[in-house]
Amino acid sequence: MDNNLLKQQIIEALNLEDITLADIQDDAPLFGEGLGLDSIDALELFVLLDKQYGIKLQNKEEGKQVFKSVNTMAAYIEQHRTK
Amino acid sequence: MKIVITGAGIVSSLGFGKEATLRALLDERSGVSVPEIMETAHTEHPVGEVKAPNAELALRLDLLADEVLSRTSLLGLFAAREALDQAAVTDVHRMAFISGTTVGGMDHTERYWMDREQNAKRIVELHTAGSSTELIARHIGEFACVTTISTACSSALNAVIAACDMLRTGQYTQALVGGAESLSRFHFNGFRSLQILSTEACRPFSADRQGLNLGEGAAYLVVETEESAISRKAPILAYINGYGNACDAFHQTASSDNGEGAYRAMQQALQMTHLPAAEVDYINAHGTGTPNNDISETTAMQRVFGDALPAFSSTKAFTGHATSAAGSIELVISLLALQNDFLPANLNWQSPMENGLVPVLHTTPMQLQHVLCNSFGFGGNDSSLLLGKEGRALTEQNEPTLYQVLADIEPAEDADYKQYMSPLQARRLTPALRRLVIAAYQALETSPDIPIDAIITGTDLGCICYSVALLDQLMQEGEDALKPTLFMQSTHNTPSSLIAIQLHNNGYNCTYSHGKNSYTDALHDAKTQIQLGSIRTALVLGFEEVDEAWQQLEQSAGSGHTMQARATLITKRD
Repeated sequence: MDNNLLKQQIIEALNLEDITLADIQDDAPLFGEGLGLDSIDALELFVLLDKQYGIKLQNKEEGKQVFKSVNTMAAYIEQHRTK
Repeated sequence: MKIVITGAGIVSSLGFGKEATLRALLDERSGVSVPEIMETAHTEHPVGEVKAPNAELALRLDLLADEVLSRTSLLGLFAAREALDQAAVTDVHRMAFISGTTVGGMDHTERYWMDREQNAKRIVELHTAGSSTELIARHIGEFACVTTISTACSSALNAVIAACDMLRTGQYTQALVGGAESLSRFHFNGFRSLQILSTEACRPFSADRQGLNLGEGAAYLVVETEESAISRKAPILAYINGYGNACDAFHQTASSDNGEGAYRAMQQALQMTHLPAAEVDYINAHGTGTPNNDISETTAMQRVFGDALPAFSSTKAFTGHATSAAGSIELVISLLALQNDFLPANLNWQSPMENGLVPVLHTTPMQLQHVLCNSFGFGGNDSSLLLGKEGRALTEQNEPTLYQVLADIEPAEDADYKQYMSPLQARRLTPALRRLVIAAYQALETSPDIPIDAIITGTDLGCICYSVALLDQLMQEGEDALKPTLFMQSTHNTPSSLIAIQLHNNGYNCTYSHGKNSYTDALHDAKTQIQLGSIRTALVLGFEEVDEAWQQLEQSAGSGHTMQARATLITKRD
C-alpha cells in the first residue's frame, strides 16, 4: 500500500486545498488533534474506502479504529481490499 | 393581543386528517413501516410513508387527471384544505400563506432527471421550494401574501412563527401556516450517507437508539388574532402563547453538546409571555432518535427546566421524521393532546440515557394547560412554540419604524476569501458560498461595533450545485456510496447557518426560499423583527449560485438565475 497515493486520495475526497502530502504525517491522528477534520470527513472516508478499494465498513465505531492515522488506514486496506 | 388557532389539517403515515391521527395516537399505533411507495433497494430502513401513490392523492383531492403536482404539493393541499374547512375560511384574499419545505418538487425532479432535456419545463416549474407552495396556493385561492421558509427540519414551525410576527405587527389578521414534505430518494439516500437512518423502528430518548426513520406528510393551521376569530364567530382551538427561534451556530449537521440553540429557543418561548417554566405540562420534543439530537435536546431541556422537567415525548416513532413538515405535524399533534387532555406516548423506548431521563412511555390521560413544541433543523435552526388552552397577551407593535441600511455589499469576483477563513474551513464551500462569506464580513467591517441580532437569508435555488451533483451521482451510480458532503450542504439554509457558524451568532436565523421574492422576503422579515423590537440589527443575505446543468434546463424553460452573494446590514433608525 502506497501511503502517498492514499494521502492524495484523502486530499481529493475531502477537498483539502493547500494541504500537501508532507502536511499529513503517516502516524499522526487524522481526527481531533491532527488535521482538524470532523465527523462528515469521516463519512467521506467511508465512501473513499468503498469506491477505491471495495471495502464496506460496518459502522462509525469501526471507522474510528480504521481512521486513526494514514498508517492504520493503509494497513486495513491491505488486509481487506477487494479491488 | 392574543393569537389563536381556529383550524388544523394533517396527513402523515398515521393517516389522513385529525381524526385518524388522534385514533393512532390513542391506540399507540405507529405509521412506520417498510417503504412501499418510494422506490428504493434499501427497504431495511423503515419509513413513515403516506400509503397512497400520487394518483390516489390526486383523486382524493378531486384534481384533474392532467394536473401535475409534486407529491409535496399533493400532501400539502390535503392538509391545507382540512385546516381551512375547520376554520370555516372561505375567502383567503386578505390572508397570508406561509409554508415550510425543503424537498419541494425533488421527488418529481429525480423521476425525470435522466431525461431532463425533454422535461426541462416541468422540472424547472415544479422543483423549487417556493413553487411547491405556489402550487398549493393556486388550488386554494388568491392569498394576500405567499412565501416559503426553508430552515431544513424546523421549516414548518418557523412558518408558524413568521406568521405570528406578521399578526403582531398588524400586517395581516389571519394566516394559513405549516409545512409539507414528501419522501424522496434524494434525501432518503442523503440521510443514509450521513449514517443516521436506523434499520429498526426508531427509539427516541432510549439509551440504545440507533438513528431516525424518515417520514413524510403535511400539516397546516389557521392562525389569527383573537379579535378576528371572535368577530367571525370561529371556534378557538388553542392559543399561541410564545415562541422562540435561535441558532445553535455549531455545525451544519450536528447539535452542540450543551444544546445552546435549543435552550435559547425554549427560553424565548417561555419568556415571551413570562410563563414560569413550572407551568409547562408537556413538551413535544424534536427527539429524532439519533444519538446526537436526543442527548443535546435533553441537556437543553434540563438547562431550561432544572429538576422540574415536565412530561416529554417524541412522537417521531409514530410518524417518522417528516423533516420540513415535522414542525407543523407535531404542532397539530400537540394541539390534539391539549384539546383532548392526554400525553402522547414515546413509542419503542427501552432504557434511560446517561442523564437518566425517561419520556412518557404510554399515551396517558392528563389535564393539560400549556404544551411546548420543539422543532430543530440542520444548521442549528432551532425553534420552539408554546400552546395554551387559555390565552396570554403578546406584545404588538403597529407603529411605523424607521430603518437604516448600513451596508449593502456584493464582493468583486476576484475577492479572496482567505483573509476571512482558512482553506480547511472552506473545504466544503462552493465558489458562491465563499463569496457570501466575503460579503458578510465586508458588510460587518463597515460597522464593526454593532452587534448582529439576526441573520436572515433569501435564496431561491439554495445550494443547487451540490444538489445537482448528488442527483447525478444518485442516478448514475445508484443509492450507495453517495458523498455525504453533497447532501449536508444541499439544504437551502446552508448559507444562513454557515454565516451563523462563522460569526458564532446564536440569534434569530431564518431562510426564505420563494422564487424571485426570496431576498426581499428576507429583508421584509428583518424589518418585521426590528419593528417588533425583538432585534435591533440584522444581517440579510441574498444567495444564488449557478450550476451549468441547471442553467441549461432553465434556458430551455425560458427562465434563469444569476449568481448572487449579497450582504445587507440593516438597523433601526432612532
